[in-house]
Amino acid sequence: MRKKSMKRVVSVMAMLGVGLPILWAHAGAQGAVPDPAASWNHLWHEVLVDLFVIGGVFLAAGLFWVYKYRATRPGQIGTAPKLTALAAIGFAVIPAFLFMADDFYLAAKGWTVWNEYRNVPRNALEVKVTGMMWNWTFEYDNGVVTTFDPDSKTGDGLVVPVGRAVVLRMTSTDVVHSFFLPEYRVKEDLMPGRVTYLWFQPKAAGETLATCAEFCGNRHSFMWTKVKAVPAAEFDTWMAGMKRQGA
Amino acid sequence: MIKSAVGHEQAHHWETSVAPMLVVAGVLFLVVFGFIGWFSYHSALMAIVSAGIGVPLLLAGIAKWTGEGLTHKPLVEGLSPMALSIFIVSEIFIFLSLFAAYWTMRLSAGADWPPVGTPKEFNLVLPLIMTVILVTSSLTYHVAEVKLEQNNLSGFRGWVFISILLGLLFLGCTVYEYQHLMHQKFTPSTNAYSTAFYSITGFHASHVLIGLGVFLAVLLAAMRGLTNKYLAFCAGLYWHFVDIVWFFVATQIYYW
Amino acid sequence: MSTASSGFKLSEWLFTTDHKRIGVLYLIGSVAAFAVAGIMALLIRLEQMSPGPTIVSDAYVGGDQYNVWLYFHGAAMILGFLIPGLTGFAANYLLPLMIGAKDVAFPRINALSVWLFWAGIVVALLTFVVPDKPDVMWTGYPPYSIKTGGNLALYVFTVHLIGFSSILASVNFLVTITYMRAPGIGWFQLNMFTWSCFTAFIIQLVFVPVLAAAVTLLLLDRYLGTHFYDPANGGDVLLYQNLFWFYSHPAVYVIFLPAMGIFYEIYATMAKNPIFNYKAAVYGMCGIVLISGEVWVHHLYYSGMPDWLRIGQMVTTLLISVPVGLMTISLFGTLYRGAITFNTPMYYGTAALYLLIIGGLTGIPLAITVLSVHLGETSFTHAHFHFIMGIFATFSVFAAVDFWFPKIAGRMLNEKQARLGFWFNFIGVNVTFWPLFIIGVQGMPRRYWDYSQFPPHFADYHKVATIGAFIVAIGMVLTISNWIISAIKGQRATDNPWGSRSLEWTHTATPPGPGNFPKDVVVEAGWTPYDYK
Ligand code: HEA
Ligand code: HEA
Ligand code: CUA
Ligand SMILES: [Cu+2]
Repeated sequence: MRKKSMKRVVSVMAMLGVGLPILWAHAGAQGAVPDPAASWNHLWHEVLVDLFVIGGVFLAAGLFWVYKYRATRPGQIGTAPKLTALAAIGFAVIPAFLFMADDFYLAAKGWTVWNEYRNVPRNALEVKVTGMMWNWTFEYDNGVVTTFDPDSKTGDGLVVPVGRAVVLRMTSTDVVHSFFLPEYRVKEDLMPGRVTYLWFQPKAAGETLATCAEFCGNRHSFMWTKVKAVPAAEFDTWMAGMKRQGA
Repeated sequence: MIKSAVGHEQAHHWETSVAPMLVVAGVLFLVVFGFIGWFSYHSALMAIVSAGIGVPLLLAGIAKWTGEGLTHKPLVEGLSPMALSIFIVSEIFIFLSLFAAYWTMRLSAGADWPPVGTPKEFNLVLPLIMTVILVTSSLTYHVAEVKLEQNNLSGFRGWVFISILLGLLFLGCTVYEYQHLMHQKFTPSTNAYSTAFYSITGFHASHVLIGLGVFLAVLLAAMRGLTNKYLAFCAGLYWHFVDIVWFFVATQIYYW
Repeated sequence: MSTASSGFKLSEWLFTTDHKRIGVLYLIGSVAAFAVAGIMALLIRLEQMSPGPTIVSDAYVGGDQYNVWLYFHGAAMILGFLIPGLTGFAANYLLPLMIGAKDVAFPRINALSVWLFWAGIVVALLTFVVPDKPDVMWTGYPPYSIKTGGNLALYVFTVHLIGFSSILASVNFLVTITYMRAPGIGWFQLNMFTWSCFTAFIIQLVFVPVLAAAVTLLLLDRYLGTHFYDPANGGDVLLYQNLFWFYSHPAVYVIFLPAMGIFYEIYATMAKNPIFNYKAAVYGMCGIVLISGEVWVHHLYYSGMPDWLRIGQMVTTLLISVPVGLMTISLFGTLYRGAITFNTPMYYGTAALYLLIIGGLTGIPLAITVLSVHLGETSFTHAHFHFIMGIFATFSVFAAVDFWFPKIAGRMLNEKQARLGFWFNFIGVNVTFWPLFIIGVQGMPRRYWDYSQFPPHFADYHKVATIGAFIVAIGMVLTISNWIISAIKGQRATDNPWGSRSLEWTHTATPPGPGNFPKDVVVEAGWTPYDYK
């Protein structure tokens, strides 16, 4: 009798644990203009809340017990109740399913945003990035090449138009580097012999930076570049100028 | 107060052995300092001096160790076969990692296999002969074990000796093959295939060498009339393992 | 006659095959590694105190100097301090005593393990004398590690020596626990610490060889010209990273499991309670062993792995919270309706509550692929692993030494100094690592000694972190010097000062002599190490 009801509880928990989070995460995942960085921020805050709740419950219980169950006289022993078999199983199975439910929920959420990260919008501006010890070069689809020198702070670095997605096709000539755009919440490694990609959505004009996030030797900390997002019209004039210079 | 164990007949003094430290010192000088001397600092002197210090230490350590192993009584007898089996699990994972490396290179190369630089006609008869040799040596060692069970010590010594000869023959084939291939400019740095070829067969050969070392220790002890059925059994277990690994090496490296 | 008064003979220590003395040798080696690696940490912190050269000579050689410190810090803390401190020192000293055995199954192999570990420390320390100092970081990624002028061989041999030492130790202890338990001790009567080591040793046995293979191929590529990791000749750059993390993720559980085991022992003893839901925790440990090999890609989320792998292993990584959560419930539950005595080990135990939650839960955003794509390789990762490993697990070693100190040394610690040390340590680590969480989220990358390109407020956070590191340093000096002084002239300890029910306290002398137990141990039916009724 008891066994049967136990089984039922477990199977219902399992269904809820796996099914609900996925449904929940998929509801309302569709947006208009994809903006991975904004989705990232949103997810991050959600995860923070989730973790604060879990951590808060555990910490509150732990610290409260540490305080409450201090020994009051020497030689005192604990009076923990002996768990019945059913209680022992319950204390394992119920939390396990709760944790699993949270895991699947987080995984489904993460997956949704991840899809946004990997599906490059069709009209994206494509730039070839090459990393080398210790510099980056950017080659636009019309052959224009730019760089940036972190010592003298000269060069244009990566210039992109506001409002158009940018996809970077990246490779390295020597060791592993990683192109990290903190403002756009994205990074991906560059390796010799392979081409990797990432994309981002410059939403507002302004200067940010990209920096190397995979250890590559002496000047690893200096391997950074400006990333300038400019209004589309300005971008076109800049590009025309670069072409004229034959860069 | 609980009385300490002093006076208890099992152990009334701190057990010691110099063998482990000798072995480690030997390895440190021979392998580590020797390698670094030769390869990092291109100093033949450093390499030779290190080896000169390391080899005697290592040999002394091993000799002491086997001597003690055959005379001291362990706390619980008969655990070594189980221990060796567990250790073999570990070994399997090393070989798996090497094969994983090989498979990765092989599968990503697609149709460009074997890569340029590989000799046109690779000798495929030799590995077959080597397989036969190794399997035979496993069998001969098995015979040796049977002799030991029958308390026929001279038979045991004889069959161990034959197994050692077969093992040496196997290594001889490897040396011959390597020389032959090197001659055809197929060296470890030639291409992806040579990389995998020399690393995997070389790593296997080093296991054969260790197995032979163990056989030698068993044989030397048996010459002095000392045997231990667990040691003999473990030596065999290891050898059969090395033998089985060879099947994978041969099929993957030569015949795939 | 107690062994402490039987005189000190150096040769009896150097050539010892006794598990207790080997344990102490492990402790000395690992604390030495910790001290040197800790001093490197202080150099790192000093350098990061301000953007631009702070203590390095100038901007051109700065990277070379800093990278060597960081290489040594990471490699020595993990390979030289934590793994040997837990699976070497603690396991060696305690396991045979806890299962009522006279020694391990293979005492001479045990001695071989400890000296291999010491040889590894020696090779690691050569870093500071050779002209071509290794700078490959503890991860040693090719092709950099193959191209660098630094001495890769030192890194590889350190890994080989300590790795082989761990493999032998695993074999030794797996056999010991399986076959040498005293009559009457069944699998579900083992101490939690014994279980935690048993599972940790299974992980070591299976995964260390993979690391050994990975670094061996580095050596071959560098010195014999093979092409395993060279894409120009048919090799594969990512192969190394996969092999390395296939080992190195499980390795964090080799650290985590015994650390938890130590805290279980301390909680049960100090709260005078049995372990809450013992079996669930044991199955949790086994669960960790099962899952730990299928999550390594979470270190490669931004490394260009196939998408299905990144997603698949996000799920497996998150699922680790299930077994760890069960272990956590057991740990916390052990306090419930206890009668808790507070002394230094329990101070560390209480801190562990908090450290486990902070360190563990911050693994969760890192485990979510898309969040990791921003947070990974930043100082957020640093803060995560320093909380769980550099503090939680490190504190477990300190707590273990403090808890078993009377047993090991036969003398009591200076409790006042130990507590003072604890407070410096605890406050210091919080001051050090919380700022790193914050600037990590804002994008502070790892392994940067100069960060002038970032907003100026990063420097403020780094300064706070540096102050924290020096507070920790004071705490460490107080703690470690206390061990040394108290071992020589502390007050004599009684056999069972904490009133524990575990065999190492109830059945043997303090400190135990050769052969461990005065009489062969046999436990009565229904005995458990946590029976306080
Ligand atoms: C002892 C060491 C240790 C331990 C135990 C852990 C535990 C975990 N770690 Fe950590 N980690 C490291 C040491 C450790 N880590 C190190 C050294 C690195 C950096 C390596 C380098 O690059 O140099 C690293 C890096 C690292 C990364 C890569 C970051 C990067 O690329 O930069 C990730 C990503 O997933 C990660 C995740 C996790 C997770 C999910 C756990 C989980 O096991 C945590 C599980 C624990 C909990 C979750 C808390 C308790 C549970 C509950 C309260 C139950 C309820 C909880 C939920 C339902 C969520 N770790
Ligand atoms: C067990 C692991 C462990 C521990 C305990 C620590 C402890 C500390 N770590 Fe560690 N750290 C790592 C493991 C650990 N770390 C790893 C794996 C990395 C990554 C490396 C890499 O990227 O490759 C890292 C990286 C790392 C960085 C990143 C640098 C960078 O990426 O640029 C920083 C920076 O703040 C740091 C700081 C510290 C500090 C301040 C401590 C302090 O808590 C240290 C406190 C200790 C002391 C101050 C020593 C005191 C002792 C004495 C003074 C001797 C006394 C002796 C007697 C009395 C006899 N660590
Ligand atoms: Cu390029 Cu770091
Ligand atoms: Cu991991």
